Amino acid sequence: MRASDEAFFNFETGVNTYLPVLVLFLCAAGFALAPLGLAWLWAKRFSPTKPGPDKNATYECGLQSKWDARIQFKSGYYIYAILFLIFDVETVFMLPFAVVFHRLSVGGCLAMLFFLFLFLEGLLWAWKKGVLTWK
Amino acid sequence: MEVTDQELKIDLQKQGVLMTSLNELYNWGRKNSVWPLQFGLACCAIEMIAASMARYDLARFGAEVFRPSPRQADLMIVAGTVTKKMAPQVVRLYNQMAEPKYVIAMGACAISGGPFKQGYNVLKGIDRYLPVDVHIPGCPPRPEALLHAFMTLQNKIASQPLTGPARPRHLRAGAPSEFSVPQCGPHGLVPPSNPAVWRPPTAAQAG
Amino acid sequence: METLEEICFRIKTALPAARVEIIPNASPCGQRSLLLGREQGLAVATFLRDDPQLRLDYCSNVTGVDWLEPSLPQGFVQSPSSAGLKKEAGEGLGESGTGCLEAVYHLFSMAHKNGPVVLRLRTENRLAAVRLPSLTPVWRSCEFQEREIFDLFGIVFDGHPDLRRLLMWEGFQGFPMRRDYLVADDFECEPTPHGDVPKRMSPRQGCAEVIQKTATADPRV
Repeated sequence: MRASDEAFFNFETGVNTYLPVLVLFLCAAGFALAPLGLAWLWAKRFSPTKPGPDKNATYECGLQSKWDARIQFKSGYYIYAILFLIFDVETVFMLPFAVVFHRLSVGGCLAMLFFLFLFLEGLLWAWKKGVLTWK
Repeated sequence: MEVTDQELKIDLQKQGVLMTSLNELYNWGRKNSVWPLQFGLACCAIEMIAASMARYDLARFGAEVFRPSPRQADLMIVAGTVTKKMAPQVVRLYNQMAEPKYVIAMGACAISGGPFKQGYNVLKGIDRYLPVDVHIPGCPPRPEALLHAFMTLQNKIASQPLTGPARPRHLRAGAPSEFSVPQCGPHGLVPPSNPAVWRPPTAAQAG
Repeated sequence: METLEEICFRIKTALPAARVEIIPNASPCGQRSLLLGREQGLAVATFLRDDPQLRLDYCSNVTGVDWLEPSLPQGFVQSPSSAGLKKEAGEGLGESGTGCLEAVYHLFSMAHKNGPVVLRLRTENRLAAVRLPSLTPVWRSCEFQEREIFDLFGIVFDGHPDLRRLLMWEGFQGFPMRRDYLVADDFECEPTPHGDVPKRMSPRQGCAEVIQKTATADPRV
């Protein structure tokens, strides 16, 4: 018998010490499920369900939806979105850089500028490729 | 029997003992959490907005949560002129609300077409297509009038029985939950009214 | 601001083919207007906008008017061939004498900070030939208002980029702001001073009948 097993099982009383966790879990699940069950029983006893074509409609603004919502987006949109995301995330790196800017060595500053240069190069490449022009 | 029960209940309440029935508890919960649908059609909507703000404070009645989705709303306040172009959308919004649902027709236009009654593009009262619970006259009605309508609706909800033949529509299996949506025809709405909800009044014959 | 006569003269100098006429106004405001011919309407509008002394670069309002058969002044015999008739009958007489539809444009000059100059364009009659040149290419603000006039009066604007109904729905028939429009009689009886609703109510059963609304006797009231 290893020592770690003794932490979970009290050999003198024969009680698993994980039992309270299980009880707590059951209580939590009960609190979550009981209202749902009560509501279900209430509906069974008192208020009948009344589905209908309008009530079951996906779109809920009073207007009738005309076609499927699953349409193809232009792939150019995704390149645009990724470009935005990269520069968006870049600010996350810029923030700690700006915070410790006064205590930074020249090398650290140059490394950050190089990092920015890489992004700038990517932007110029995308610009030249015509990604930024919305067609 | 009923009277003595009521007296007993009041006596007990004075002693600090609260008694209730399932029906009362159910209605008490419903009437104090009526969430209106957030939409306005014309100038009456301004008064509705004023009623929901701090000065008139609709929140006192548990109705401050204006829901932008019909799925989460219990009450439709038809605040303003319903044009014939808009009427199908209003009826469809009502159909998309979950039961139990209530309608307050607010203002002269919503209850009868108001000053536009003889116009070409205004529905002459939303009660032609929807079962209206409370009508508020006025052009526009003041926020106090809306509060009064709200309290009237609360009284109506509180008096609805849970069982028996007089129970409200949402508790009856055969009663409709959706009402037919009118179509925009070449001259007006088709049909001009829903006969299940509204019938034209018969004209009084003069002399 | 130049007077209307000067503007009229300048238009005729610049565009000799243009038909321009000053419409008098007998009402207290006395605001006169320019009646343009349909064919040169667009050219005149462009001239009014671009002329450096006028620079009427802002169209604030476009309105439709329906002129039914006009009530003529006493002493005149109505005959379309009479040359003097059109002049003396004044407002609202179409070329064939059957009334007309009219679009009224209110122009201002933002550059010179003056105005308004009121333009009128009239259709040939109010039944079949209801086409007018659209002034949307000249003043962008006309777009929705011309759509509204098309919707409610039925004037067809040639050259309009998006001529659809605006207030009424697609599939609606008729033009509700015309004076002879047949209004859908879908309201119930009520004691009203507005007409003969109780009388109309008595014989009918349904609610959707379309009953002819009597046109007012004087179209200019």
